[in-house]
Amino acid sequence: MAMRQTPLTCSGHTRPVVDLAFSGITPFGYFLISACKDGKPMLRQGDTGDWIGTFLGHKGAVWGATLNTDATKAATAAADFTAKVWDAVSGAEVLTLAHKHIVKSVHFTKDSNCLLTGGNDKVIRIYDLNQPEEAPQEIPGHTASIKRALWCHDDKHILSASEDRTVRLWDRNIPEAVKTLSFDTSVSSMEYLADGDVVLITYGKTIAFYNAHSLELIKTIVTPANIHSASLHPEKDFIVAGGDDFKLYKYDYGTSEELESYKGHFGPVHCVRFSPDGELYASGSEDGTLRLWQTAVGKTYGLWKCVLPEDLVSENPELIYPVPAEIKA
Amino acid sequence: MKTPVCVVRLPRGPDPHGRGFDPTSPRYLALCPSSLSTSGEADPVALRAEQRARAMMRERFLRCLISMANKKIQFLMYERVTVAAVFGASDIDVLNFQVSDLQTPIGVQTEALIRCQDVISYSFDM
Repeated sequence: MAMRQTPLTCSGHTRPVVDLAFSGITPFGYFLISACKDGKPMLRQGDTGDWIGTFLGHKGAVWGATLNTDATKAATAAADFTAKVWDAVSGAEVLTLAHKHIVKSVHFTKDSNCLLTGGNDKVIRIYDLNQPEEAPQEIPGHTASIKRALWCHDDKHILSASEDRTVRLWDRNIPEAVKTLSFDTSVSSMEYLADGDVVLITYGKTIAFYNAHSLELIKTIVTPANIHSASLHPEKDFIVAGGDDFKLYKYDYGTSEELESYKGHFGPVHCVRFSPDGELYASGSEDGTLRLWQTAVGKTYGLWKCVLPEDLVSENPELIYPVPAEIKA
Repeated sequence: MKTPVCVVRLPRGPDPHGRGFDPTSPRYLALCPSSLSTSGEADPVALRAEQRARAMMRERFLRCLISMANKKIQFLMYERVTVAAVFGASDIDVLNFQVSDLQTPIGVQTEALIRCQDVISYSFDM
């Protein structure tokens, strides 16, 4: 019997949620960090959405947030011209890295030793977190704000997406970009999947996949609405995407077929990410909420519980029937 | 008609008092080293002495905050800013001070919040 998706709403932010990131899988589960225009990024338990803590210290909107693989460190990029590194266990601020303009993107290397930053001053920077007083390595080249900068190919290369309508692949030891992709319009988001060496780029109503070494196009999917963010399932079965029409779309990666669309958010969807185990995906919206969605609807996982028809009739008091109206935690 | 998936409960929201990161959670206890400098050693005497010193300093700080209530305080802040205000209260994490009659170069603010991380030092007559 087909079941209807029950998204779990995580409230707490008071302004739009513009970025979110999952950690890897740790002995304590996996975690989720959300960046919000209210300047207060939050850490949540990844499989339940339970709030763990809020990182307090930024003096402006937080545009980017990330966790290292074992969720012991967090980094945030903000409109107060700083990127900050935090202890993700205690919530304490560890480092403030001053920039010359709004910082939009932060990303840790796999060993958490280096932090990549990018923002409105158009320069990619690499900070050695073990020597924070040292000047960062700078990679200029973009001619407009950098939206996102990511490590790839075992942290040997960098992928950057900019408002100058290019996506560039860099070797950190070479000043010129190794490869450049040009677009007719702004790139709205970019993701890298190491397993399969795939870059996912969204622009306009298109979700496009490229080989991360050659930057050759693999395939594109055209959606009904302008897409702000998309994510590829770790096993590459599905793509989820969200954008201007408030809906979440789910596509089959192999056939490019639209499988489902879900309503729920009350504003444009700014960011979507699959969890590291692929069992759920999280979306952040202009409406200030995060929502968690099941990949396999009806499966028992996290707070969702698979209930057989007989149990429904016996009125199990432990279970809540989700009502169509908004429920706030 | 499709039945909606059941949930056990809703995700827990933020605690309105404080910033979270529960120090009694299993992850915190496993991963956060103790901030006491002597905690690595086996010397219980040194540990007790340090704990006593910390408790005394904390008590002094809290008593200082109590004695500041309704007194005029001079705040020295970054960017060579000096302001005076009547102290009201501090929040639990000492992130903000609630003050009244804040004297600023552009006027007097009847009620204001001062961000503690912006304050270098403050002084007052007891």
